[in-house]
This record gives sequence, structure tokens and C-alpha cells, in this order.
Amino acid sequence: MPMDEIALDHGHDAHDHKPGFFTRWFFSTNHKDIGTLYLVFALVAGIVGYTLSGLIRMELAEPGMTFLIHLVSVDAESIRAGIIEAAVNAGNVGAATDASVLAQVNEAILTAKTEASKSFYNVVITYHGLIMIFFMVMPALIGGFGNWFVPLMIGAPDMAFPRMNNISFWLTVAAFALAVLSMMVPGGNGVNGFGGGWVLYPPLSSTAGHSGPSMDLLILSLHTAGIASILGAINFIVTILNMRAPGMTLHKMPLFAWSMLITAVLLLLALPVLAGALTMLLTDRNFGSQFFDPSGGGDPIMFQHLFWFFGHPEVYIMILPAFGIVSHIVSTFSKKPIFGYLGMDYAMVSIGAIGFIVWAHHMYTVGMPSDMKAYFVAATMVIAVPTGIKIFSWIATMWGGSIDFSVPMVWAIGFIFLFTVGGVTGVVLANAGIDHALHDTYYVVAHFHYVLSLGAVFGLFAGWYYWFEKMFGLKYNKMIGYAHFWIMFVGSNLIFFPQHFLGLNGMPRRYVDYPDAYALWNAVSSVGYLISLVATALFFIGLFEAMIRRRKGEANPWGEGATTLEWTLPSPPPFHQFNELPVVKTEGGH
Amino acid sequence: MRYIIAFFSTMLAALPAFAAQPTPGALNFQEPATRIMERVIGFANPLHVGMALVAVFVLALLIWVCIRYNKRANPEPRKFSHNTLIEIIWTTVPVIILVVIAGPSFSNLLYQENEPDLVQIAESGDLNDPNVFVEAAKQGWITVKAEGMGNWAWTYYYPDEMDADGYQVQFVSNAIHYGLPSDPPATPEKPRYLATDYPMVIPANRYIRYQTASDRVIHSWTVPAFGVKTDAVPGRLNEGWFLVEKPGVYYGQCSELCGKNHAFMPIEVRVVPQAQYDRWIETMKTGDIDAATEMVQVIDTTDEATRLASVE
Amino acid sequence: MAEDVKHDYHLVNPSPWPLLGAVAVTTLAIGGVTYMKGLFGIEQGQLWALAPGFLMVIWVMIGWWREVIKEGRTGDHTPVVEIGLKYGMVLFIVSEIMFFAAWFWSFFEFAIFFPARVGDTFDHLSPVWEGLNNFKEFPPVGVETFDPFHLPLMNTLILLLSGTTVTAAHHSLQHGKYDNAKLMLWITVILGLAFSGLQVLEYSEAQFTFDGTIYGSAFFMATGFHGAHVVIGTIFLAICLMRLYANNMTAEKHLGFEFAAWYWHFVDVVWLFLFAFVYVLPHLALGH
Ligand code: HEA
Ligand code: HEA
Ligand code: CUA
Ligand SMILES: [Cu+2]
Repeated sequence: MPMDEIALDHGHDAHDHKPGFFTRWFFSTNHKDIGTLYLVFALVAGIVGYTLSGLIRMELAEPGMTFLIHLVSVDAESIRAGIIEAAVNAGNVGAATDASVLAQVNEAILTAKTEASKSFYNVVITYHGLIMIFFMVMPALIGGFGNWFVPLMIGAPDMAFPRMNNISFWLTVAAFALAVLSMMVPGGNGVNGFGGGWVLYPPLSSTAGHSGPSMDLLILSLHTAGIASILGAINFIVTILNMRAPGMTLHKMPLFAWSMLITAVLLLLALPVLAGALTMLLTDRNFGSQFFDPSGGGDPIMFQHLFWFFGHPEVYIMILPAFGIVSHIVSTFSKKPIFGYLGMDYAMVSIGAIGFIVWAHHMYTVGMPSDMKAYFVAATMVIAVPTGIKIFSWIATMWGGSIDFSVPMVWAIGFIFLFTVGGVTGVVLANAGIDHALHDTYYVVAHFHYVLSLGAVFGLFAGWYYWFEKMFGLKYNKMIGYAHFWIMFVGSNLIFFPQHFLGLNGMPRRYVDYPDAYALWNAVSSVGYLISLVATALFFIGLFEAMIRRRKGEANPWGEGATTLEWTLPSPPPFHQFNELPVVKTEGGH
Repeated sequence: MRYIIAFFSTMLAALPAFAAQPTPGALNFQEPATRIMERVIGFANPLHVGMALVAVFVLALLIWVCIRYNKRANPEPRKFSHNTLIEIIWTTVPVIILVVIAGPSFSNLLYQENEPDLVQIAESGDLNDPNVFVEAAKQGWITVKAEGMGNWAWTYYYPDEMDADGYQVQFVSNAIHYGLPSDPPATPEKPRYLATDYPMVIPANRYIRYQTASDRVIHSWTVPAFGVKTDAVPGRLNEGWFLVEKPGVYYGQCSELCGKNHAFMPIEVRVVPQAQYDRWIETMKTGDIDAATEMVQVIDTTDEATRLASVE
Repeated sequence: MAEDVKHDYHLVNPSPWPLLGAVAVTTLAIGGVTYMKGLFGIEQGQLWALAPGFLMVIWVMIGWWREVIKEGRTGDHTPVVEIGLKYGMVLFIVSEIMFFAAWFWSFFEFAIFFPARVGDTFDHLSPVWEGLNNFKEFPPVGVETFDPFHLPLMNTLILLLSGTTVTAAHHSLQHGKYDNAKLMLWITVILGLAFSGLQVLEYSEAQFTFDGTIYGSAFFMATGFHGAHVVIGTIFLAICLMRLYANNMTAEKHLGFEFAAWYWHFVDVVWLFLFAFVYVLPHLALGH
């Protein structure tokens, strides 16, 4: 979308030298362009992940293997030939036209399709989870908004390592390509793709469970995504530590930049451990090592420890940037400074720190000693305290303010409430005693979609509507924005709230089909998905409407409440901003 | 009056024994069948109320600020950004709430996790303490091992029970329904995706020590009504315990992704009176598994203990 | 960047290397899977499948870093940029430490819980500290471990010595004594090569294998990744040596050298931990 703008702007501004199209978008060393690339990429990956979630909801809409059987292909010809030949050999010469034989053929084909769709379902949920996490939320929030706004907010002309910034992006694309390829090559159990869940537990992910090349490609895909994120994390930390404008101390730095700093530290410390676990998995699969293979003294649970040591910080990696975005929006549209700025900061720091010592709450049922479980219960619940500080500080920021219900603000308010709903069910799950009943049920699915799909994604859309005009210099249609919000709000609550009931009543997750008793709430959930389809369509309509109408954006459309540095620049900002560094006044601040 | 009593007693006799399985449109847990699950529910229900209150409180605050401080109602924003007292309050109150949660949470956890000391319970157990079962403790443990199989079935072992040749009583329990066109029709006795061909059988009112193991990939042995879920991990032997008071049929489903037929790996536990269990295990020892299974199709409600439980 | 820029940050020109690098990594990954599993109709086990990706990666690395060196020499690396680069290198080493944390974590897990696991019940109730006794049984009987006070001790001394020579080289460089710096760096590189050589020798005498038992897996993974880091570090140092001969580093500006030295110290410290926990501790506990 901004690509034709370049053509427009070209030549107007002699100072704003932009490279030609190919150089600009493929060889970029400009943080804003790379941010845009990340956002476009996240959109594409988001469509893929969203489509996969549609397949899940359609399969589960009613009991029975009803939907995916239409999407899988089986070798019907050879099944037919086999059965007819057997019948002929058995003396039935007219088998090819015998109705009962043909009925048998049809049943055999249906059976084969059903069997294939069982495995295919597992593949669908696995890639849905992985793509949403690694290729939608992370690239959008960190790569997209982080790249765009960290330098702008701290008054820096670009990221510390602009060229490395670009390889972070292209490696993410490479990782996505490998993941998509892995979905299309044999998994080793009769269908294409890996179907062991996004957590990749061995032995299901070892040769014993999936012997095909699919899993190997997926491992290398995640290695690549991990390298990309580690390089990106280094870039953010160095940029924030070394390139703040004169006068901007860490304690004056905007909260979004803080959230990115903490996120980057979590990435830096957590991802290498995942890389280690994945490497062990790879050698177990291909070079005969026995890390996760009990026959040689290894232990599959070891993988789970390493995975969740990464995995739990990962969930905060996805939510902290959203926290940062929401802080800015709430302050902007209440026309008030952030309430308890330092408390907000250190709440995030402690969420990040505690996030490293709670990982085994995902593993309460693997057979851990009870005192270890008790420890993880306590540590996990502690996180509710700093998170509560954030929630209440947002409300206190609004308190006494003069609230403008702009489009980003309604998304942010929605975020605060829905994230709380997801957070409190997290506290329920933290209690190992209860988790024994709820682990691996839809209650967990409901929990993490409230914090992710209704938390992180709502934060993502809030940021999108907050910064859209800044990034692309175009105004969007507000009515479409509100409609998008309300329909999405209704739709996604309808998808995920009933899943609590399913989970409490015992429905396990990762099930392609379920006992009839669960039919009602699954149907409701699938209807919710159809409603979210309308919302997502509105999102794209809003995007195209803005691109077509080309209403020129203002430097600061939000007025006095918008105080961070990005609003001092024109929209879109010049190709290189801050050729002369802004000086932040020492008094005042937050 | 006599009629009415007769009517009700025939109703009782005709009622299938207690059974737990998902109910259509249900909002909450399945009926508990063990003290463990009763305690989980007794803790989870109030916890859910509390958590709902937290969420509603946040929602109420949000609605209030939206009404009171929107730009029409409050055109001039105030500029404060600190209030130490309120910050202390919203830090300490959640801490207090969490400490209050932690108490029952730990006691609940320890009750589930720590295998009861039957000798001690038998000697000095309090008959009125709902958490211990003195009569059951006197009879000692019954051990059952559930092994998850590579072909999505459970194998049950009864290591204390040897057949004539000195082998453990053991059998494979397969699903009946696989989502295939060839599936037999579902019936109330054989609910779809829950029923098995040869169910696990245990006596009511006995302490059961269960173990889980696996031959290839990870499964998880789960019965929601028991509040029990334990992963079956290759190379490990996990343990747990429970005691079911009410005879009946209880269903669970494999709860760790284990491949293609993960959704078709049900767990069916038939809890029968001790006498019926004894008959079953004797028949199992002869190797006639079909006859033995036939014997537990109807749960013996004439048994004294069962009648007491179902009247109660 | 000809505009009137009034800051010292380095705005890098557009560069093809990132895109090429990503293509190289994709090629390498697909080649790797082709080698390991066979893909697109190509049989597995053909090492050449790795070649295109590998060569491309090397090409990108050379091209990219040449550009960096050139920029460093043409004044793009102002003091503030240098500080950024230093932060960057430190953070990179931090991530490497976390990478090794995974190997140590698994090594300890396996060592401590090994006896529990090979017995037929997993005694999950014994506290961790009691598990330390279990080192007595790990590696399991029958696995002939190395005598740590033989080649490994020798290697320890080699690495420690190389740590001092690289520091000596640094000091000489800072004081403009280029000849001495070259000499010391030569010694460091040779010590690095000697370490790798002895490690190869040791591996060739191993009485256990990567794919036999968990001990072999954990041992070779940890020491193997360390060895790979030694090789990378040696190459890094050798490049600095070449740049010294090319008069490409000065007493004032030699970031590349500093980074190589930091990296080398990191490799050194990791080895000390490996030596203590992977070689000596099981040996002492086992007593053979
Ligand atoms: C953005 C992602 C995100 C976030 C932020 C969280 C936040 C939390 N999560 Fe969640 N979680 C996931 C993503 C996330 N989670 C995912 C993806 C999984 C499943 C992975 C898988 O298996 O596939 C999972 C699973 C998961 C489990 C394992 C369940 C199981 O598999 O059995 C547990 C258990 O403890 C848990 C707990 C928590 C807790 C306590 C928090 C806390 O941080 C929440 C804190 C917030 C609040 C509590 C609300 C606000 C606070 C107040 C208003 C103050 C007052 C409140 C109180 C006093 C209670 N989560
Ligand atoms: C961020 C993470 C994320 C998001 C957004 C979602 C979104 C959705 N998920 Fe998600 N889901 C997971 C992460 C996520 N999920 C994970 C980790 C699992 C576990 C996998 C496993 O078991 O291994 C899972 C599993 C899972 C299941 C359980 C499957 C099972 O256990 O059998 C179900 C079932 O209904 C489901 C449904 C949905 C639906 C209907 C949506 C959505 O349709 C809801 C609506 C969301 C949107 C409409 C957002 C669309 C966004 C864009 C289009 C991008 C926009 C981009 C920019 C603005 C730049 N998901
Ligand atoms: Cu067995 Cu899932
Ligand atoms: Cu977690």
C-alpha cells in the first residue's frame, strides 16, 4: 500500500532520498520500511493462521467427521481397484458393476478419507498455533510496531544495526517458507505435515511419531525464526540502550519502548534454550542420539522442561508489547499522563523476571514431585500481582480523564477487560490441584485465546488503528473501525467463552471429534467464528477503503493527549527522521 | 403410601447405577465420584466465583470511568499521575487474595498427591473425617496399571492378581467407535467415543493405586469424575491414587495428543461392589475375558454397600 | 547519506546481503533435510545436498563482513556506534551462554536422574540434592569415560594459556607493538588449532559413541558444540591476524580484535565448566 506513495512522493522532496522500488523493499536498511514489511508479512501469515482456525471450527461445528474429509485426498483409484480385484479373485466376475461391491468400495474410500482427516486435523491445529504465534503476533507486534516506533519514540534516526534488522525480517520470511513447505511434505504417518501440536513433544515429534522430513523442516524453520528473533532482540536492546535522544533517561522513556526492551531481553534469554532443545530433537531424529528416548536412558520430559522454559516467557513476549501499546492509547485518549509510570515499568520488569521461573505449570500432570508443583503454583500466582498493577493503573489513567472513544481506544478498553478474563482463568489453572482436572481440556484453550486472540490480537488492532495514520499518512474510515471492533468483540467472545464450559465438563483439546454431549457449545463456538469472519472482512475493507480514498493524514490526529515523539513528525514520517536529534527536556516527563 | 414406596424402590432398582459422563449443554464439572474431585470442585467453584468477581470488578470500573470521565461528562482532564495509597492497596489486596487462594490450593494438592498411609488410617483414622476411609484402609491397596499403547488402546494390568500360570491379569481395552463408517451405533450403554470393549474394573470403596506407563508416545490417563489425570510417559512409571465411593460407570478420554487416534482412545471404568469385583477377577484369571466383561455389564445394585450409596 | 546529518549514528546503505543470507539459510535448511531424509525425489544421505546452501552462507558472511570492515575503516564507526557494536557483541555472547545452558541442563538432568530412570520405577519423590549422589552411577557401568587428567587436562591448560596470549596480543596492539601482537596472536591461533587437534584425537579414542547411550549423546553434544565454537573462534582470530598483516587494525581502532578476544574468553570459560562437570565430576564420583 505505501508502495505507490513512494512513486507519488518521489521527486517532491529533494531531501528525502528514497532508493528505487526493488532496492527499497528488498535491500532495506530503513526501520520504517522494515516495519511495514513485517506488518505486511504478518497480515499474510495471519490470513493463513486464521484460515486454519476456520478449518478447526468447521470440523468441530457438529459431532462426526464431517468437514475435513472433503479436503483430504486419498488414492481412491487404487482402493477401488484393490477391492474389485479381490472380489474378482473370489469368484465374483461382475464385481466391477456389482452394487454391493461398489458400496464396499465407497465405504473403503470414506474410511481412508476419515483416517486421513484425523491426522490432517492434528496438522491443522499444529500449524495454526505455530503460525499465529511465530508468524503473526510476534512479527506484527515486535517486528512491525517495534521497528516502526521504538526509534521514533526514543528520538533515534534508525535502529542500531539497520542491515541486521533486515536479515531478521528476511529470516522470518525464510522460516515461514520452511514451515509452509514442511506442511506439504510427508510427515511420516501417511499424511503431509507434522501433527504433534505446537509444543512439539517427543516422542510424537521423534522418529517414533513422525518419521518423515516434515518435522525436520519444521525444526529448521523454528531454528531460523529463532535466529531472526535473537538478532532482532539484540538490535532492540542496543537501540534502546545506546540511541535514546539526549535527555531521555530510561525513566523518561515511553512505555512502549520499555515493553520492547523487556520483550527483547526475554527473547534473548529464552530462545537459545529452545534452539538447544530443537537441536537435540534433530539429532535424536537423524543421528541416533538418545536425549528424549528412554531406551537409551533419555527422557521425553526433559524436552518439555526445555520447551516451557522458553514457552512461558514466550507468552509474555507476545503480551508485553500489547501492554505497551495499550498504555500509550489509554493515556492519549484520556488526555492524561500515565498513572504510576514507574510502577508500570517495574511491573513489566517483574512479569518478565518471574516469567522465567514458572514454566512447569504447563507440566503438572507429567509426574513431578508434589513439592515442586507447590512451588510452581506459588510462583505462577505471584504474576497476577504485577499484572493487576498494570490493569488498575490503566483504569487510574482513565480516571479523571476526558476520554475520547476513538477507534484505538475502544480496542484498548476491550483489551483491558478481555485480557483480565483470560488472566483470571490463568490463575485458576495455576492451582495444580484444579489443573489436574483442567489440563489439556478446552478450558486451557479458552484461557489462552482470551489472553492471545482477545488479548494480544486486540492490542495489535488497537496499535493498528492508533498508528495507521502515522505510518501510512492516510486516514481510515472510523465507522468501519468501530464496526470491526464490535463484531469482533461479539464474535470472538462467542468463539471462546463457551469453551470454558466444554473444558470444565471434560472435553479434551486436540480432538478431531467429540462425544455428542459437547455438541451445543461447539456449535456456538463455530457460529462465533462465522461472525469473526465478518469482522475480518471489515478489517480488510477498512484497509482498502483508506488506500483508495487517500484522505491525507495529519501529523497528530489525536490532539493534546498524544505526547510521544512520533507525533512531532509528519505523517508519514520522512524517510530519515531526526537528522538533528530532538532534545528531551529534563523537567516534567511522565 | 405403600404404593409410593414400592414405586420409588423399583425406580431405584431400575436406575442404572451412578454414571459420570459429559452432559449436553453442561456448564460445569461432571458429577464428582471421588473425594479428590469433590474437593477440587469445592475449591474450584468458589474460586471461579472469586475470579468472576475480579473480572466484573474490572469491568465495573471500566464502565464507570467511561460514563463519568468521557469527554462530554468531563471536558477538562485532571492531571494527577500518582497516588501512593491506592497503589499500595491494589498491590496488597491481590496479594491477600492470592494467599487466601493458596491455602486450600496447597491442601487440595497435597491431598491428591500424597498417597495415604493406609496402615495409619486403619489404626487411627477418624470415622467422621470425610477425607479418609477407615474401612477401606483396613483392606489395603488395589493396584492397577494402565499402559498407553502405540495403537491407541490402553492395556490394564492387575499386578496383585496372578492367573493359574502365574501371569498377571492383564487385558487390552479398545475403543468401540473410531469415527468410521463401520462404527456400531451408539447406545446409552455404549456412548460414542467413550465406551470400550473391555472396561477397566475396580471395586467400590477401596483404595486404588493406579500407575501409568506407555510403550511409544505420551498419553494421559484421565477420568474427569475422579479428578485424576496422569500422563503415561515412555520410560516412566507415574503413580496416583483414588477411591470411588459410588459404584457405576465412569468415562474419560486420553488427554495428551498421541497421534491420529488421540480422540478415539477412551477410558471406561466400571466400579462394582467388592463381591462382583471378586467374581470378575476370578473369571479373568481363567482367561475368559468375554464372560468376565459380561459379568460387569450390569452393576450389582443388590449389594448392600451399593444400595446404601445410591439411597444416600 | 549525504543529507545534512547532525548525529553520529551510522545509517547503513541498502544492502543485498540480508536477503541473500535468508535465501542461503533456506537453501541450507532444505539441503540439510534432503541430506537427512531425502526430499523432492533425492535420496537421503548425499552430503553434496548441503553444499549449495553452505557455500552461499559462507559467501554472504564474507561479503557482509567485508562491507562492515570497509565501513569501519571509512569512519562510519564513530565512538557511539562502537559502543553499540560492543553492546551487541556482549548480548550475542549472552545468547550463546543460554544456548550452552540447554546442554548443561540436560547433562545434569540425565546424570542426576539416570539411576532412577533405568530402574523400572521412576522414583519421583526423592529430592534433587539426594540426586547428586547419583553421579556415582553416571555414566552407567560399562561406559569407559575419559581420564580427565590426561588429554582433557592438557586441553584445559592449552585453552588457559591461549587466554593469556590473546590478552597479551591485545595489550601489545593497544600500545602499538604490532610485531608482538602478531606473534602473540600466532601463538593463540596455534594453541586453538592444537586444542582442536587434541580434541579430534580424543574423540577418535572414545570408547562410547554419540548414538549409543545417553551419556554419549550428552557428552558429544556439549563438547562438540564447544569444539565448534573453538573452531569458529580460531577462524575469527585468524582473520584478525590477517587483518593485522594487512595493516587493517590500529592501536586505536580494533573492534574486530576485541570481539574475537571476548569470544575466545567465552569459549574458554565454557570449557572450564565442561571440564569440571562433564569430565572431572563423574570421574571423581565414579572413581575409575
Ligand atoms: C499472551 C499469552 C499468555 C498470557 C499473558 C498468560 C498469562 C497467564 N497464564 Fe497462560 N497460557 C498461555 C498464554 C498466556 N498465558 C498459553 C498459550 C497456554 C497454553 C499452551 C499450550 O499448552 O498450548 C497457557 C497455559 C497456561 C497454563 C497451563 C494450563 C495447562 O496446560 O494445564 C497455566 C497454568 O498455570 C497458565 C497460567 C497463566 C497465568 C497465571 C497467567 C498470568 O500472567 C495472568 C495474570 C493476569 C491476571 C490475573 C488478570 C489481571 C489481574 C488483576 C485484575 C489483579 C487481581 C487479580 C487477582 C488477585 C487474581 N497458563
Ligand atoms: C496468537 C495466537 C492465536 C490466535 C490469534 C488464535 C486464533 C484463533 N484460534 Fe487458536 N490456537 C493457538 C493460538 C492462536 N489462535 C494455539 C497456540 C493453539 C494450540 C495449538 C495446539 O494445540 O498445538 C490454538 C488452538 C486452537 C483451537 C483448539 C484446537 C484443538 O485443541 O483441537 C481452536 C478451536 O477452536 C482454535 C480456534 C481459533 C480461532 C477460531 C481463532 C481466530 O479465528 C480468532 C479470531 C482472530 C482473528 C480474526 C485474528 C486475525 C488476525 C489477522 C488476520 C492478522 C492481522 C494482522 C495485522 C493487523 C498486521 N485455536
Ligand atoms: Cu492417547 Cu491421546
Ligand atoms: Cu505459562
